[in-house]
Formats: sequence, structure tokens, C-alpha cells
Amino acid sequence: MGSVHDTHMAQFIPPNAIHFSTGTITYVAGQVAGTIVAHRAAANQTTLITIPIVIPSNSSGLKGSMLNSIEVDYEIQVAEPTSLTWTLNKVTRGAEGAVAVVASVTKTDTVAAAAAKTVDQHRQTITLTTPAYIDNDEYYLLEGAMVAGAGGNTSDFLGAVANFTLRV
Amino acid sequence: MGDVYDTHMSQFIPPTLFHTAGGTWTSVAGAVTGTIARNIAAADQTVLVNIPVVIPSNSSGLKGGYLKSIEIDYEITEADCDALTAVINKVTRGAEGAVAVVAAQTFTQTPTTAVALAVDQHRLVLTLATPIWIDNDVYVLVEVTVNQALTTVVQFLAAVANFDLRL
Repeated sequence: MGSVHDTHMAQFIPPNAIHFSTGTITYVAGQVAGTIVAHRAAANQTTLITIPIVIPSNSSGLKGSMLNSIEVDYEIQVAEPTSLTWTLNKVTRGAEGAVAVVASVTKTDTVAAAAAKTVDQHRQTITLTTPAYIDNDEYYLLEGAMVAGAGGNTSDFLGAVANFTLRV
Repeated sequence: MGDVYDTHMSQFIPPTLFHTAGGTWTSVAGAVTGTIARNIAAADQTVLVNIPVVIPSNSSGLKGGYLKSIEIDYEITEADCDALTAVINKVTRGAEGAVAVVAAQTFTQTPTTAVALAVDQHRLVLTLATPIWIDNDVYVLVEVTVNQALTTVVQFLAAVANFDLRL
């Protein structure tokens, strides 16, 4: 047991920490003045939006951060994509000379897949079925796969928030 | 002494926070599905990667984050680098009207520089000879200099900072 056991910790993850592969991404002002976003330009392609969960970890068991959920704030504009689905991956880092190992984590989404891709402002909450303490050899990546489809779709990603328990 | 003194803290630093200079860098999916990386395209050149060590600092002495080591996960493909070396820089921020001051820190590393530049998956561990309490006027950057051969490709996946936390 540590001296701190706070079950209400949260960490904002800004849009410029989000990793995008495939697609044209620019960092622009958000729709609401004073906000910032990573903006995906319209294109009929699949873009992976990967959010690194940057919260503390710990080499002692049951200490550091226990990841409970992640919330993603984004806005779908102009046209609805074919699909937008979220996968939560736990990455166990490779030792020297070895590759990393990725394991999909069981979770629930508050916004169903059909609703999460509509033209609207969204807050998608991904809740781990079994919250887990993060070892120093691990990290979590939340991956959104956006299949844009013929409409091309433009979208803005405002950021994410990780909710966790801190025990130190 | 504070109420918290945890000697096993770590902080994942994603590749999206890495600062890269020189060459053509792209954000790509990693070689292992589900991972992410920053990729430097092949070219006979030297590029710089700076990793900001984003752990807490504190304006009280002997409190906050006590940085002990940094681990860097990366992969070299196609051809060995001509060289790959790291430096740990402690940056003392400038006051208004003054420049920052940079001091290189002494450290040991595993694997050796000869191994660290070879085609393979790497976990490069840099251990400070004298760990540092991070003052609020100080931050740390780990600078990796990558001297690529003509066909060398390097992907940086992540870094992890290991530190004590005292609050």
C-alpha cells in the first residue's frame, strides 16, 4: 500500500500527442474558438487514429496507475464515414533484440458503432472490463480505425482523457 | 520528507512527443500490428531525435521526480547505422531575457554503441551516473544522433523514464 490511493485521477491527452497513419492531418483551431484539434482532411481512405495513454506506470505490482477508462472527444463533419471502430491494445515492450507483443483488451463503448460515426460532436467512452495496473514494461494505445468511404469525411480530434486510479 | 516516496515509478513517452530534426519523418504503424512509430526514411544522412522526459518536477529541493534512467525502444531495418549515439542533456531554463543552459550528463548504457546501431529490435537503456531531482526550472532531453547508411530505416516506438517520486 502506498500513501496515496486516489480513484478519481484523470489525464488530458492533447491532440498533438495523437498518432495518425494514412491521411492528411493538420493542426488547426477547433470549431469552438480557443480549442485546438488535429484535423483529418477528406479522403476516401482508412486512417488509423492511435491515442497513447500517457499516465504513470510502476515496476511494483498493484502500484502506479490502474487504467479504468478513456474518453475521446471528436467531431465528424460534412459526411458520415463508413465506419469508425475502437480497439484498445496493451503493448508489452520487447526486450533488447525482441519485438513488442500486442494484446487486445476487452472493453465496452458508451456510443455504439452506428452512432459514433454520425455527423456530430462525440464523446466516446471506452471502459475496460477489467481495469489493470500498468507495469513499467507496458503501455496502452487506443486505436480508432476510420474507414472514410466515398464521402471522404472530414473530422476533428480535440483530445482524450484517461481516467485512472493512482496508488503510490 | 513527504508522504509519498515511491522508487519504482515509470512514465511512457510516446513517439508523437519526440522532436525530430533532419531527414523525412512520418508517423506509421509499427512492424508489430497495433504499435505506432515515427519512421525516418532511408538516406545517407545524420538526423537528430530529441526525447522530452515528461515527468513531474518540483520547486522544493529533493522533491518531485528523481530521474534515474531512460529506455528507448526502436527498430533498425535494412542496414546497420553508421553510428547511433545518445546524450542526456539537462536544460536549465533561461530567466526572462536569458538563454537556457545545457549540461550533458554522465551515464552508462546497455547495449553498447556497437550493438545499438545494428539491424534489430532495440531497447536502449541509459542510466544516469548521478540521478537528478528535477527542479521546476529544469527539464531533461535525451538526444539520439542517428547516422544512417544509404538504406538504413529506423523506427522509434517509445521511451520510458524511470524515476523516484517524492511528494
